[in-house]
Amino acid sequence: MSVLAEKTTPAVAVPRRSFSEFALRLRVSGVLAFLFITGLIFSLLTPQFLTVQNASAIASNAAILSIVAAAQAIVLLTRNVDVSVGSMMGLTAYLTADYAARHPNVGAELVLLALVIGLVLGTINGLLVAYGRVSSLIATLATMSLYRGFTYMYAHGQEVTSNKLPRWMLHSVDLRFWGIPMLVVICILVVTLVATFLRHYPIGRRIYAVGSNPLASVFYGLRIQRVVLLAYGLGGLLCGFAGLLYAARVGTVTVILASGWEMSSLAAAVIGGVSVTGGSGTVIGAALGALVLATIDNGLVLLGIPEFWRMFIQGSSIVAAAAVDVFIGVRIRKALQGQRFARRAA
Amino acid sequence: MKRRWNWRLSQWEMMLAILTLAAGVWSAQLSPYYLNLDQIADSTRQFIFPGLLALGLMIVVVLGEIDISLASTLAVGSVLFSKFSACHVQVWFAFPIVIVVCGFLGALNGVLVAGLRLPSLAVTLGTMGAYRGLAFIIGSEKGYTDFDDSYLWVGSERVLGDIMPVSFILFVIVSLVVGFIMHFTVFGRRCFAVGHNKDAAWFSGIKVQTLKIQAYALAGALAALAALVWVGQYGSARGDNADGAILFVVTAVVLGGVDINGGKGTVLGVVLALFLLGTIRNGMGLANIAGPTQTVVLGGLLIIGVLLPVLSAVASHIRHFLPRRATPK
Repeated sequence: MSVLAEKTTPAVAVPRRSFSEFALRLRVSGVLAFLFITGLIFSLLTPQFLTVQNASAIASNAAILSIVAAAQAIVLLTRNVDVSVGSMMGLTAYLTADYAARHPNVGAELVLLALVIGLVLGTINGLLVAYGRVSSLIATLATMSLYRGFTYMYAHGQEVTSNKLPRWMLHSVDLRFWGIPMLVVICILVVTLVATFLRHYPIGRRIYAVGSNPLASVFYGLRIQRVVLLAYGLGGLLCGFAGLLYAARVGTVTVILASGWEMSSLAAAVIGGVSVTGGSGTVIGAALGALVLATIDNGLVLLGIPEFWRMFIQGSSIVAAAAVDVFIGVRIRKALQGQRFARRAA
Repeated sequence: MKRRWNWRLSQWEMMLAILTLAAGVWSAQLSPYYLNLDQIADSTRQFIFPGLLALGLMIVVVLGEIDISLASTLAVGSVLFSKFSACHVQVWFAFPIVIVVCGFLGALNGVLVAGLRLPSLAVTLGTMGAYRGLAFIIGSEKGYTDFDDSYLWVGSERVLGDIMPVSFILFVIVSLVVGFIMHFTVFGRRCFAVGHNKDAAWFSGIKVQTLKIQAYALAGALAALAALVWVGQYGSARGDNADGAILFVVTAVVLGGVDINGGKGTVLGVVLALFLLGTIRNGMGLANIAGPTQTVVLGGLLIIGVLLPVLSAVASHIRHFLPRRATPK
């Protein structure tokens, strides 16, 4: 960190905007460096780690999580949180799989169905948080149990097995593009699309604005309730899509599908540099965070380390990443203040 | 102004008490087995361990923070008890150690939140996973069931003519103590002050960071107590103990009228909310309503609980537009 502090001193000549961008880039490159280091450690410890086959397995595992992490990141950017992502995925996956099992000739409208269900579930969250003025944690904690409960009630203890699902659904995720799994291609497309939306479209910029300073955005004339609702709706949409992908990937859809993903998605987003206090971070960072988690998972499995160590490491890494974020935030604030003083003195 | 505020508060608690009675009547209608002293005494057990967690969480929430790692702290506590029991250590020796360890885990949350100024949600979400992992690491994946009888006494035995569960008496004592701490001591007043306006509290000389760390430590220690109750009730300890119980705990705290943004709430409200939730759960259980449905009801209650202020605001808004009656002199 001292390196950063030294660099801030001559930053007087540099415009403020580029400095914060630099810090953000530093954060993302920090994730990349962390990914590289963990990869290096695992490849030294076990020879099976650094193979093409394993790399594609890691990428496939990270793919769906990265979409959910992107959804989580959008909500986090508005200073809110969504712990119902796993339940939204589960409910969407079960409903769509059940629909597909009942209508064997269903086509691509299944994707549309998943998106609509996800959008509706996300919008309910958004309405509660934005217009009900319920604390986002409480609201989504409640809907987490509500959506999961509905899944149980709808399923009546049944599950949708893979032989009831349409063939194209199961095959499409196993396809490969020049050796790259289809799942990874889809995830890269989705994440890039969302990143572009957030970076280059006015509505996307508003999401950042509301998160970084809600009061200022009100004064500026943004209707923050709409923006929060949009963020939750978008998050739900992505979760619905991820739920469908997950159903297609695992084949057998049970009622507990994707439970516990709220934790993983938050871990991925926070590790990827999305600030829990809102307004800072990128969707691409969150996707990289998912890749980090998948790499750690994979390495631990290859090393034969028990599964519960993963919980411990995942939890600790959330705390560590949050600590790093706050640390960087303090540095940035100090640097900006320094600039302001320097400018006033000049 | 102050009197009006007090009146509103007692109104809320009255409503909880009335709802509890209504739920009891409803349960009696649903099942002929409900109105039975033995059954009712037994049913209190269902909310003792979440109740102890809720009392701890309430202190933290009054300060304007949140701790969702408490259920995982409980798991660490119960696994530690199992380790001590396996070594044939008497419970009176093991208990203080577990209290200290769990209090330390809580204090660690507090240090991260108050000392490093991290957002409490992110911290406790992280430690929720980390502590649960820790519980598994300490206790391995296998459960432990061969508890020494001395460990089971608090959670399973009954006294006073074989009716009153020990755990219930423990709960009453603990809630009285927490009520005293929160409403009649300097510590409690400071907690409310910090939760109401952190900056003003800091300017008036309250050590906000120390206070927060103490509150988190207290919540952790209460989780250790809850772990002892858990061990007695279920006779088993494993890393996934009380997984998912945090929903019930948060529901109780919010439904009890504790403001999630801090600074408002009473221990009495939390206790009454626990009774209400316990009665509803017991009634639904007797009426053969499946677990998932119960979860849906719980989630719905949580939403209603937090939406109530908004709904009442909307109602008063509507009343504002209605033709006014002449105000009685």
